[in-house]
Amino acid sequence: VKARMVASSDVLKIVDLLQARGYEVIAPFLGRGRDTYFDTVSPDNRAQIKIHLPNPYYPPKRYVIPHIEPLLQIKRDNGNIRIEAAGEEKKRALFGIRSCDVAGIDHLDRFFLGREFGDVYYQNHRKNLFLVNMVCTDVEQDIGQECFCLCTDTGPAARDHFDLQLMDLGDEFMAVAGSAAGEELFAAPIFKKATLAGVDKRRKILDAVRHQFKTTTSWFSAAVRYVSQGKVSEKTWEEIGLRCFECGGCSYVCPACTCFTISDRKAGPNQVDRVRIWDSCGLGGFTRMAGGFNPRRAVHDRRNRRFFRKLAHYFIQRELSMACVGCGRCAAVCHGDVGMPSVVEMIRRAAAGAEQQ
Amino acid sequence: MAHRLTTCTFCGVGCGLYVETAGNHILGVYPSVSHPTNQGKICVRGWHVHEVASSPDRITRPLLRTGRSFQEVSWEEAFGYIADRLREIRDRHGANSLAFLNSPRCSNEEAYLLQKFARCVIGTNNVHHGTGVYCNNSINALIDMVGIPASTNSLQELADSEVILVDGVDLGRRMPTLAGVVLRAKLKGARLIVLGTRRHRLAESADLFLQMKPGTEALVYGAMQKVIVDRGLADLHFIKARCSNYDAFVSEISHYDLLQAAEGSGVAPELIESAAILYAKAARAAVLYSTSMEDRSREAVQAAVNLVLLSGQLGKKGSGLFPLCEQNNLQGVCDMGMLPDRLPGYIPVADAARRGTFEEIWRTKLPEDPGHGARSILWQRGNGILKALWLARYDPVQTAFLPEITDYLRQFELLVVQHVFMTPTAELAHVVLPTTAFGEEQVSFTSTDRRIQLAEQVVEPPGGLLPAWAQIVRVAQLMGAAWNYATAADVMDEIGTVVPLYSGANYENLGRDYGRQWPCTSDRPLGTQFLFAENGTSRKFHFAAVPKPALADHTSKEFPFMLVFGSSLYYWSQNVLVRHSETLKREYRWLFLDYPDGFVELNTADAAAIGVRDGQPIRLMAERNFATCAARVTDEVMKGTIFVPYFMSDVERQMLGGTGNGACLLPVRIEKEAA
Repeated sequence: VKARMVASSDVLKIVDLLQARGYEVIAPFLGRGRDTYFDTVSPDNRAQIKIHLPNPYYPPKRYVIPHIEPLLQIKRDNGNIRIEAAGEEKKRALFGIRSCDVAGIDHLDRFFLGREFGDVYYQNHRKNLFLVNMVCTDVEQDIGQECFCLCTDTGPAARDHFDLQLMDLGDEFMAVAGSAAGEELFAAPIFKKATLAGVDKRRKILDAVRHQFKTTTSWFSAAVRYVSQGKVSEKTWEEIGLRCFECGGCSYVCPACTCFTISDRKAGPNQVDRVRIWDSCGLGGFTRMAGGFNPRRAVHDRRNRRFFRKLAHYFIQRELSMACVGCGRCAAVCHGDVGMPSVVEMIRRAAAGAEQQ
Repeated sequence: MAHRLTTCTFCGVGCGLYVETAGNHILGVYPSVSHPTNQGKICVRGWHVHEVASSPDRITRPLLRTGRSFQEVSWEEAFGYIADRLREIRDRHGANSLAFLNSPRCSNEEAYLLQKFARCVIGTNNVHHGTGVYCNNSINALIDMVGIPASTNSLQELADSEVILVDGVDLGRRMPTLAGVVLRAKLKGARLIVLGTRRHRLAESADLFLQMKPGTEALVYGAMQKVIVDRGLADLHFIKARCSNYDAFVSEISHYDLLQAAEGSGVAPELIESAAILYAKAARAAVLYSTSMEDRSREAVQAAVNLVLLSGQLGKKGSGLFPLCEQNNLQGVCDMGMLPDRLPGYIPVADAARRGTFEEIWRTKLPEDPGHGARSILWQRGNGILKALWLARYDPVQTAFLPEITDYLRQFELLVVQHVFMTPTAELAHVVLPTTAFGEEQVSFTSTDRRIQLAEQVVEPPGGLLPAWAQIVRVAQLMGAAWNYATAADVMDEIGTVVPLYSGANYENLGRDYGRQWPCTSDRPLGTQFLFAENGTSRKFHFAAVPKPALADHTSKEFPFMLVFGSSLYYWSQNVLVRHSETLKREYRWLFLDYPDGFVELNTADAAAIGVRDGQPIRLMAERNFATCAARVTDEVMKGTIFVPYFMSDVERQMLGGTGNGACLLPVRIEKEAA
């Protein structure tokens, strides 16, 4: 492993290094109360960057699939129709992305780029993205009430898919390079030789943090088995569906959800813009077909789709990665408390009960 | 990029959300985790509320009618034209020939200035908000009985309620974030009682679902109260200390009979009894109903308040009464005096002494007689005497349940419309003033739990658009008013001087934390989470004596179904914001793809019994009239009833003859129509 030590007072200089290399750097900031968000670093806000804070709710996946993204413009010009690709190519660095969200981006890579046809819009964002992963070590600040990355095996420290990983050891940080681009940064003088004491401390802190998660009852593998073997009864799905008010929030905040819709919007007398907008499998209009038939007409038939997609063996095998990364956002966003941890629990209780009979 | 906390402007829940912008573009929105009301949750409308601002269909230049078409004019020309015409019509026909209606989505500042303009500059009390068309039975009943027409407690307190009674309103569809608060309270152990005709989403989760025949709410409430009184469950200590008129109330209650009420309402007597006992015995119990779009009798409102008083469920956390305002600022526009009979802060216009206070502050004489309400203004033009109408962000053609409204609107000599879009109402106007949309102005809104909150400006409006409140100021100035407000914050400062409930609120403190819940005064600078906490005897609540209603069921063997006209359920599907968001248009309007000519709703069992399939045309036969339309077969409607959504104006006209009387129930039979 290529590791270095960085003094705490130097850690924000990594932001400067990236900016000097032409990256727009995105980092986490504190909003009101416990609200936090990722925003572009500028000279005005650089001092407000927070290392330890609740993981921003609005997921960083929007830097690879924006909430609303222009795809192309269709313009009429003296009777001629012109089609122009929209989109920007920008070098971006996400400073402070958590391990769950790193796993999310890896999952999106597999979905959008991993098969025969790659998504060019996604590819344009992704190929210019530099990920600086921050390991969650502050039990009070970093690890939320709903976090369960232990159960999805995605945290608190990501094993791969980052360019650079930082971990707070108290008085200094340990930096680990995950790519050639990350390693290239180590030429800067702020990176010092890794110490054995540092490596030892890193392991001890991780061991301790693993025991301080607040939600650890997510019986993931059992739920995967029950869902994959069709052992979840209709009654359980109905119970789950009854608690869904169809806001779409779980899909929007999910780092691994990929649903989108495409719409053509009039942008002027001679122009139509084609845009891609985040969408959700929970919404009735999403599953309704053009002829009016809706194969998932009842709410619970739509709601269970989310959990098939995330927990069924078929999909996990297809992408060799699970579409749930344990960030816990869906548990916080859900009006009826049918986020992933609760649903896994409901499935386990119902199916285990049925098995015992 | 920037992130700014603001307030969702869709419904009365008033969720806190962040807007992310880059330059002058809104990139997206997401909920605030820390906001006390929504705590990280928003509904599908909140997730897409910003799409309105970026809609390409916006109008951005003032339009003046020239014959059948419109011509773009400068702002000053438009304001000058409006001022001249208003002055001319007032001089020719008198101040009471002008009327002013606004949408319950207007900001507090817009509402305050519009009614001040009408009252001070024009000299009329012809002011009202659009929701007044459907229902206005709550304000007076609440003022008489509890003194304050608003939710007594905060929405987030429902998490601490032991019993929650939801009356009528389909929260899951209409205020989903509030439905979530209720459902999570239930998951934590609260008991949920649902009353109403429809088996809606929340009814499915209820511990007790009292599905009743339409129009029998007062009967069921009365029977519940009889049970409470008879079993000695009334909170006599509370009643003795804080209520009046109890004896008159009890003497009416003694006429109610559980079995009779059960028969009349169609609810099993055990259910009525269990609901009464559950509610009365709870340490903390809340009652929720909608004041906005439900057709609800004054007695039904009084009966609900009586239940709260009888069980002493006021003045403590997690209990109380929630007369819900569904549009985002219905509470605020009422607080601001957009009412024909009440000044800001609910002061009756007829109260000479208190009117005098306003005359001193506003330095002008005020009209004494109550004005026309929205229904009278829009339908038959105030008996034909109204000549000019100003509609602020209001689109009655698409949202008011009134027949021939287009014809009536055409008869005005002057129709001024302020709106974000070229609505069907704006098409009829003489002058159209385009207005700012979500995220383009800093103004305040008041949620259904009295939370005064700021909506922030995050982008510049297109083409130098003036905020709607500033447009009103400009016209007032041209008519000679010495109005001097530089910002919306200045307007709020003046609101604080005339509305005591708002006296402690200003933009500086509203911008901190998450707004302030009124009463927000100098001795309560942080606002008030729930009302009536002080245990003094100064506050007297008043029981209403509600005589037992006559049985409402007029169905017969020949006409076995009751036709119910509803202005409520599909309200949002006609909403202008919904129409201009890609996702919301799809989610709220797909029914119109499945039923392109509209529909009436029929219970699944009834449909099976007469052999009607979903989507099949049926003929509704009443004694004198008939109408034909498609049937939407659903378990939501009660057996024996047929629900007619308000936008089915043809059915309404054919069956009721175009009276616009949505409260009317009509017995019918169904005949199959050849497809």
